[in-house]
Amino acid sequence: MSDRAIIQQVLAGDVEAFAQIVDRHYARCARIAVRIVGNREDAEEAIQDAFLRAFKALDDYEDRERFSAWLTRILVNQCRTVLARSKRRDAVFLDLDPRQLDFAVDAEESEGPWPELDRMLDRLPAEQREAIVLKYADDLTYQEMSRITGAGESALKMRVQRAFARLRALLQEVPNV
Amino acid sequence: MSEFFERRVARALRSDVPLGDELARRRVMERVRHAAAEGHPVRRRGVPWYRRQRHSIVGLTLAAGIGGLSTLSAALPGAQRDAGARLGAVVIGDTVVGTLHDTLRLVRLMFDAPDAQRVEVAGDFNGWGASPTPLVRDERSHHWSVTLALHDGEHRYAFVVDETRWTPDPRADRAVQGGDGRIYSLLSLSRAAN
Repeated sequence: MSDRAIIQQVLAGDVEAFAQIVDRHYARCARIAVRIVGNREDAEEAIQDAFLRAFKALDDYEDRERFSAWLTRILVNQCRTVLARSKRRDAVFLDLDPRQLDFAVDAEESEGPWPELDRMLDRLPAEQREAIVLKYADDLTYQEMSRITGAGESALKMRVQRAFARLRALLQEVPNV
Repeated sequence: MSEFFERRVARALRSDVPLGDELARRRVMERVRHAAAEGHPVRRRGVPWYRRQRHSIVGLTLAAGIGGLSTLSAALPGAQRDAGARLGAVVIGDTVVGTLHDTLRLVRLMFDAPDAQRVEVAGDFNGWGASPTPLVRDERSHHWSVTLALHDGEHRYAFVVDETRWTPDPRADRAVQGGDGRIYSLLSLSRAAN
């Protein structure tokens, strides 16, 4: 069943059908939120708030837009709100010396999760972190990213490029990279 | 090396994170059921635009009797106080730019959405959100407002709440449905409207 069909079902009064939306999109939202806000607790709060806001505003969803992109826009706003409220990331990460981290990564690990990368994301400026996460964690086009963030496409491309450059510099000590 | 690095970063970012177990999803649904019990999601489509969100939105009314050609500095403070008292959108004066043939009218839009985190106005005067014009929230009254300088003529606009909700102004004098199906509020500005 498509997202659109589920939404119609919810709008027709079947609230429980929304659980299918939650199941279908939670993992994707988690990939985005954890990497934007930097910790699981805040990410879960942002995700919960995003689903709730999406549910409340479900009648405003326009079919012309992909539902996932619409939901992502709400999620990014919630992440921004959480970040503005919580300054924990600054306290935890700003003084972190990348040379003190264990960068040993073998060939098999290079195909999957990369914990050091997630930690280094926190050292990027918020705009760059948001751009690179949306581009790759959610496979969005620059046009969709522009609608979500309010930034121009060329600015977003620049942010992604700079994010790569910054990450490369931060991770250059890593063997096998 | 660079291409390899970028591919690897992309793969890592696409990998799932250990978040969102059954309990987390259940918590979402608990909040959703609670919201449903409060009447959400609010159905707006199929409902006449002027009846939508009447409880939370205070729209536009054109003030009569604040007319006369005046300068921005002379017209703004007193008129803004009037506008605040009435809670609507009002033409609060004119400002002369260049010559008398290029007159901008000051229009104050006011909007009541206490739960909103962000309210913007999108209209033909700002490229329909290409350059969104944010409203500012008064911390005491929780009313959102913005003062625009607009040329004479007919303007189409709507409020955008939290970047997700397109909301025509229910108290605007007129509204039209655009080719995209959305409802746009209409604002006519002329010396007569002042």
